Amino acid sequence: MGLDLRGLKKTLGGRVIIDELDLRVTNGEMVSLLGPSGCGKTTTLRMIAGFLEVDAGQILLAGRDVTNLGPDKRPSAMVFQNYALWPHMSAAKNVGYPLKIKGLSKVQINEKVEAALELVKLIHHKNSRPGQISGGEQQRVALARALVQEPDILLLDEPLSNLDAKLREKVREDIRELQRRLGITTVIVTHDQEEALSISDRVAVMSAGKIEQFSSPRDLYLRPATEYVANFIGSINRFEGELQDGEIAPGSGVTGIRPEDLLISMSPVEGSQPGVVELVIPRGHFFEVVVIRRDGKFRIFTSENIPVAGDNVHVKIKRALRYRNGKLIE
Amino acid sequence: MISVGRKKSREGSRSNIVARSSLLGLALSLPPLLLVFIFVGIPICIGLTFSLGFTHGPNRVISLIGQQIHVKNHWWGTLAAYSDVVHDSRFLGDLGLTLFVTVLSTVLVIVMALAISIYQRLIGGKQASVLVTLSIVPLFVPVVISAWAIHTFYGGDGFMRSLFSQFGINFPTLTSTPAAIVIGSVWTALPFSILMISSGMQAIPDALVEAARDCGAPSSKIIVNILLPLAKTPIIIAMSFTAIGILGSFTIPLFLGPNQPTMLGVEISNFFSSYNRPQQSLVMAFIVFLAASSIAILYVWSNVKSARESGRI
Amino acid sequence: MNKLLNPARLALNAAVILMIFFILGPIVWLAVHAFTSNWQYPDLYPSGFTLHWWSQVFLDSALASAMKNSLITSPIVVLCSMIVCLPAAYAVGRIKFWGRRAFMIGIFSANSFPKIGLFAAIATLYYSLNLMGTFLGVIIIQLLGTIIYMTWIPAAAFAGVPRNLEEAARDAGASKFTVFRTITLRMALPGILVAIVMSFLAAFDEAQGTYLVGAPTIFTMPTEMYSLVQNYPIQVAAVFSILLALPSVLLLGLARKHIMGGQLADGFQLK
Repeated sequence: MGLDLRGLKKTLGGRVIIDELDLRVTNGEMVSLLGPSGCGKTTTLRMIAGFLEVDAGQILLAGRDVTNLGPDKRPSAMVFQNYALWPHMSAAKNVGYPLKIKGLSKVQINEKVEAALELVKLIHHKNSRPGQISGGEQQRVALARALVQEPDILLLDEPLSNLDAKLREKVREDIRELQRRLGITTVIVTHDQEEALSISDRVAVMSAGKIEQFSSPRDLYLRPATEYVANFIGSINRFEGELQDGEIAPGSGVTGIRPEDLLISMSPVEGSQPGVVELVIPRGHFFEVVVIRRDGKFRIFTSENIPVAGDNVHVKIKRALRYRNGKLIE
Repeated sequence: MISVGRKKSREGSRSNIVARSSLLGLALSLPPLLLVFIFVGIPICIGLTFSLGFTHGPNRVISLIGQQIHVKNHWWGTLAAYSDVVHDSRFLGDLGLTLFVTVLSTVLVIVMALAISIYQRLIGGKQASVLVTLSIVPLFVPVVISAWAIHTFYGGDGFMRSLFSQFGINFPTLTSTPAAIVIGSVWTALPFSILMISSGMQAIPDALVEAARDCGAPSSKIIVNILLPLAKTPIIIAMSFTAIGILGSFTIPLFLGPNQPTMLGVEISNFFSSYNRPQQSLVMAFIVFLAASSIAILYVWSNVKSARESGRI
Repeated sequence: MNKLLNPARLALNAAVILMIFFILGPIVWLAVHAFTSNWQYPDLYPSGFTLHWWSQVFLDSALASAMKNSLITSPIVVLCSMIVCLPAAYAVGRIKFWGRRAFMIGIFSANSFPKIGLFAAIATLYYSLNLMGTFLGVIIIQLLGTIIYMTWIPAAAFAGVPRNLEEAARDAGASKFTVFRTITLRMALPGILVAIVMSFLAAFDEAQGTYLVGAPTIFTMPTEMYSLVQNYPIQVAAVFSILLALPSVLLLGLARKHIMGGQLADGFQLK
């Protein structure tokens, strides 16, 4: 077990931030804590790192109970959101610092520092100061500094939020590739869905100090366990009521339909209902078509049979998710 | 083609604006500059000439009033007054005391300011705030009063002796000793150093300290490797200001120090007024100025160096 | 995580107590004397309390005249300082003119010349200019001490006003002067107030130079202290000290938020 959080509780300033949080991450797994600001994901990360004391519960890293250890004694290494590189030290000195603390010899430090910088492809900036390199490069130095400690768990705090869009994609892939190669248990905190879903083995969707669902990105999308997750991940057409004979009828509970689970055609097909196209929005490689049926407004993602506004079309519901009291029912 | 022409004139007018603002800037800075030039620059230059034996013009009146005036015997003046002073055993004693008190007091002030600031930075809490607030209190008290208050506190019938005599201990009378000068100097210099150093420490982002902890560093290493280097500039500012201030101080050693040897600030005043030897007084002033300048140069150099390192200039 | 062990905690509490004695002791000891009738050594307690020393001070002509002099010269000095220095502070903070850094360093170095030596040199000049023992002479001396505060601190304050706020105001139609008045000046006001407070105190508490050029004609409250402590009983000195310290305590108390908030420390960074 790479990381085991048991019954974590944290109150700050009178408010309960984290309440009975459990999380089990397997060794070598890369997981994300995903959620809006205030959901408690950063608090959780800081508790794992040791910067915040838990009010109740246990934290086990690589099977060891570290709940009462300070951050300097835990086998975790963190890459901070703003990288936290020491401005008065070169990249090599930054990366070598944890080794210096351990008491390694100059030769050993040099070896390991160079290996770490090679890993993040920054060996050419070995003697540069943080002020002299770009944001993306600073992040790689911070990453090297974390990796050089050979930690049991790697913690990344919003790693992509300070990078511009083009760079983000590249860095995402780099992080994923590096993690796969080294096999270090990794926890990422992010508010960006795309980031979490694209590189994680599993994602913990958090809200108000609790984990709503902890599954693979695919499961989160196809089988969101709660209404919150269904709304948070991707888009969804949400209706109060139940699905009956191909249309939404009044009833208890909530029905959610993913935009790709709706079929649009010019002529009726089995189970379809008629409707009028209100709006067609081009979205790059697919189109978002808004159709008004007698049971409500539907947003549909499709890349063929694109109608125009005003057309009479037929829409079929292929698959629906049903929720009662916020939870998914079969 | 038109757009190229327009762009050119825009660039031209920009350099015009820069030139005009430079002139404006210089013009606005003129008043204080003039004031300083007339009432600091000129007196210093004239004082320098007087110390070198130029006794005419603006130095005429003082030369008539003062005693033991050496008149110049070369085109550049004379070193007789300087020779007087440097060979005066009184001066040498004063110089030794002044340097000793300055160094000791500065060290004590900086150590105290560092201790309190680092404690506040790494641990914080109520006691840290109390210590910082206490350290700033002397700022609120005029120097003359501080000197007198410290005199009554450590004096022959002061608090310290009263307190210890309750236990039958004969606490020494500290007034009129170098120790009292050090106490008074530290007392008055503490606020500025605390303000400088504690604000420098607080300005270090939490993440930098946390990152060091994450790397396994204990507090001692964090202080040496992270806090002190990053607060280097405010520390040097505090050291320079403190040392310069104590070097030329007058009121504190006047109230608290011995008559002989005393600090050079007091001696300068003595020679000017009481002993009526203004020329020697100015010689001493310039010697002190030399020492103060070298400290000031250190401050400016450190500022420029750190600005260059962080890429500001 | 950062819990202190018991011996460390003990040492810390001892340090706090020592600091209290070291810092507050002398002031409190002196202040109490202002209200005592008789206090024999080595008692830790006076024989009695009285207010009669206060009336003594106010009725003494020499002391009253010193107080009057202080209260006249200090505000005049601050006003002159503002007129002379604030435009320069604005220029240094906002206009990147050639020689700006040299100007600031020049002002700073002028302040690092040991004051008493400087005053000796100035006194030499004063003799020829007939300024010894005059009000003008005293005002100039006190003015010199305020320059560093009235240039450096407002300069940092002016420099700290975000340009985009001014640009937004211009964009909304305000004239340059209106922008200066309503935006720039208002945002730099805390720094300017700190400078005014520090300058007032520098002028009010100025003793060395005033002593050298003012005595024996003009005495202000600080210079009066030099002779007072030798010629009057300690209680009178105590009363006078409290009076002299009052403006300090009041003004700095009011400006405390800004001083501790870093305006003072920020002002002395060379940017």
